Amino acid sequence: MKEAASYLRVFLTFARNSLVRDMTFRTNFLLESLASLSWMLANLGFYLLIFSHTRYIGRGSGWGQYEFFVFLSTTMFVNSLVQAFFMANVDEFSEMIRTGRLDFALLKPIDTQFVISLQKIDWSSLVNFAAGGVLLAFSLVKLAARPANPLQLEPLMAVLYTLYVLCGVAILYSLMIALSATSIWLGRNQTLYDFWFYITNFSRYPMEIYSGPWGRPLRWVFTFLVPVLVVVNVPARLLAQPLRPETSLHWTLAAFAIVATVASLAASRWVFNRALTSYRSASS
Amino acid sequence: MPIIEIRQLAKSYRVYQKQEGLWASLRGLFRREHRDVHAVRGIDLDVAQGEFVAFLGPNGAGKTTTLKLLSGVINPTSGDARVMGHVPWKRENAYRRRFALVMGQKNQLWWDLPAQESFRLHQQIYRIPADQFERTRDELTGLLSVRHLLRQPVRELSLGERMKMELTAALLHSPEVLFLDEPTIGLDVVAQHKIQQFLKYYQQERRITILLTSHYMKDVAALCRRVVVIAQGQIEFDGSLSGIIDGFSQHKVVTLLFSPEQSLEGLEQFGEVSEIQPPRAKLRVDRTAVPRTLAAILAQHSVEDVVVEDPPLDEAIATLFSRVNGEERPESKQVGASLSPPGKIK
Amino acid sequence: MTARLTTWWTILRICLEERLVYRGDFALGTLMRFLPIITQIFLWQAIFQARGSEQLAGYRYEEFVAYYLLTMVSRAFSSMPGLASGITRQIRDGEIKKYLIQPVDLLGFLFLSRLAHKVAYYSVAVGPFALVFFLCRGYFDDLPPEAATHSAVTAAAFVASLLMSFVLAFFLESALGLVGFWWLEVSSLLFVYMLFSYFLSGHMFPLDMLPQPWRMIVNAIPLKFLAYYPVAIFLGKQTGYELAGNLCLQFSWIVLLAGVSRVLYWRGVRRYSGFGG
Repeated sequence: MKEAASYLRVFLTFARNSLVRDMTFRTNFLLESLASLSWMLANLGFYLLIFSHTRYIGRGSGWGQYEFFVFLSTTMFVNSLVQAFFMANVDEFSEMIRTGRLDFALLKPIDTQFVISLQKIDWSSLVNFAAGGVLLAFSLVKLAARPANPLQLEPLMAVLYTLYVLCGVAILYSLMIALSATSIWLGRNQTLYDFWFYITNFSRYPMEIYSGPWGRPLRWVFTFLVPVLVVVNVPARLLAQPLRPETSLHWTLAAFAIVATVASLAASRWVFNRALTSYRSASS
Repeated sequence: MPIIEIRQLAKSYRVYQKQEGLWASLRGLFRREHRDVHAVRGIDLDVAQGEFVAFLGPNGAGKTTTLKLLSGVINPTSGDARVMGHVPWKRENAYRRRFALVMGQKNQLWWDLPAQESFRLHQQIYRIPADQFERTRDELTGLLSVRHLLRQPVRELSLGERMKMELTAALLHSPEVLFLDEPTIGLDVVAQHKIQQFLKYYQQERRITILLTSHYMKDVAALCRRVVVIAQGQIEFDGSLSGIIDGFSQHKVVTLLFSPEQSLEGLEQFGEVSEIQPPRAKLRVDRTAVPRTLAAILAQHSVEDVVVEDPPLDEAIATLFSRVNGEERPESKQVGASLSPPGKIK
Repeated sequence: MTARLTTWWTILRICLEERLVYRGDFALGTLMRFLPIITQIFLWQAIFQARGSEQLAGYRYEEFVAYYLLTMVSRAFSSMPGLASGITRQIRDGEIKKYLIQPVDLLGFLFLSRLAHKVAYYSVAVGPFALVFFLCRGYFDDLPPEAATHSAVTAAAFVASLLMSFVLAFFLESALGLVGFWWLEVSSLLFVYMLFSYFLSGHMFPLDMLPQPWRMIVNAIPLKFLAYYPVAIFLGKQTGYELAGNLCLQFSWIVLLAGVSRVLYWRGVRRYSGFGG
């Protein structure tokens, strides 16, 4: 227990230091927040455009405009959390490997993965979290007024939703840190980062769009092998509950999401530790 | 029981070659050439508690690699080492709490924040009780004269000031073993001197064990009684500084101040003239021949002052390095054998 | 003349070598650029399935896919990564001085090096591109007779438009970068440009989808020529007088932006050297 308290204190110091640092560069902070927000608004505009041409996405999938906006706000929650807490650190990790600054982290009497993953927090990314909250609230209100099968919110749903959003963040984090750790063997590899971007691109839309002879295998791969589709889909479906007869499938998927989270975290930790044993440092 | 024990420690890397030219680059897509670098080739060393040991060696000799192995930063290819009973590369938290590594020109403090924020982070990570932390911090910053700089962002400090902050950070948790990798590199003379003074004082007060690598002879001469020379991944010499001088320089330097009207002709017969600037001259004379030579000079010339000293340490070291880097490995082994064997120096 | 050719050849060769030194990167990187299209293809498939009807904003489903594939080509010509930010950086770091002293024209040099870089890169990337288009050739069946697959005139117009979009994009982004002579924090401006360009150039979706007043706005600014316009030509959406008119419009934008860049450069340089050698 004392261990946990100590780690929490260290994390709070990280958070505080990052905040102080961000506030020193205030204009930058504001600009970055604005940038994130405007990017999100432009994307929202795009989806509004799509829904001006169609009522649903996917045949019989039930993803109408506001259901989709629930999906979108879930994406915003997950992405903003990943960006705020992990993106900069994982990037920095590759740099640390390359320059040899990782040495310093290895000298500290604290779990290396903990330090590497949490030492900097990008507060400006959390503006998207807030924006997601607004969008979600708005969409839920609209969905509650849905003529067919109106949405009924229960406390359990809120709890499960939060849990699954966190699971989604954990899965994405595991992927990121595992990819980044490979730079110990592969050197600084820009392709790997682009790869990450392309893979997460697949998780931006509801999994129902992956249909047909090419779509179904793709859907299977990205659910069970590289579980990015699980990240946003599971919590979003929990709330948006699009009309579909396959509720049992839904719960299997939800259970699988937990399994996937644990497995991803375990696998990424294994990769991380293996990578550390091969670390060479850099010549001084 | 030595506090540091090293047995047959070795570390090798495989380095891949980057290809020049278009065709070679294309071929590089399919097959890469590599070579193996043997950074450390099996060293044996014992260090007792409270010793202040210097690692000397040419660039690429393996000094820094050895320190990194002892810090647990990298894993060895083979061999064994114990520091305070721990195996360093296991990276146990218990071990990491008891030692510190400082690397010159590498900064671990947060760049944009004042040093005291980084110190606070240190306190949390090492779980130093608040009062002990404040006491140690004040003591260290006082000794290094940087207390007034605690609230300034690290990026605004000069190189010397930053190094002092790094040292402070490293010693906040009162480590029992300290590894220093070129701590004074790039600093001006005054800063170097201050840091040397500090290290000397601190080591004497706390009786901690320090391993230092440096290129600066002044650091070594001022601080360490025991010198370990590493070249090409192996220990070539382990003994005292005076041992090196005795072992590797056959000469003494005789500086003569002649009377103004004295002619300086014909000095070459007494020894190698390294410098001649009337009325001064410097001669390199074989050790054994010094009394004889001096007598002869004084008999034939009018001399106002004489100084006989050892050649600069750098010269002795340079001779040692060039000898071990050359083909003549048996010779260096022979030289080593005539000096104190490794591990037995007190 | 031969001296310039040799310089070009050297630049080309160096660019290529630079690309190939990063062994893992190159082969995969080019193919991976097509990955985001896969998501788009599935998205539109899902949308069309839900709608049922044949066309959306005048495009069939296959035409949507063809559209996205072709924007990869038009983007290949018009993307200028790091051009504007590179210019601002050079201004900020004082590297511009080099161009004041030496008889080298900054804009000319940058243009040539961009050209060389693109030739170098795409002469090797043409492989993966060709592969993808071959695999997806089914989407290009059943295009209207005005499309480039059936009409040589359209094909020629397509190529002309592509070449013009390269020049247009160059002058547009260099003008933006040259603003750095007056305003140091151009990065915010660049971000805004990038945002608008991403959504309003046709990169994300065919501009035909936009309602008024957005259609009017998009027609008034040159961004559509960066991604949308050449593709629209290829797919046969632009014919006759409309085609000729818009090509002329594209050309006029080039002239305007080239002029603006020139003026910005001269005045900027004058202002810069006024700041004390």
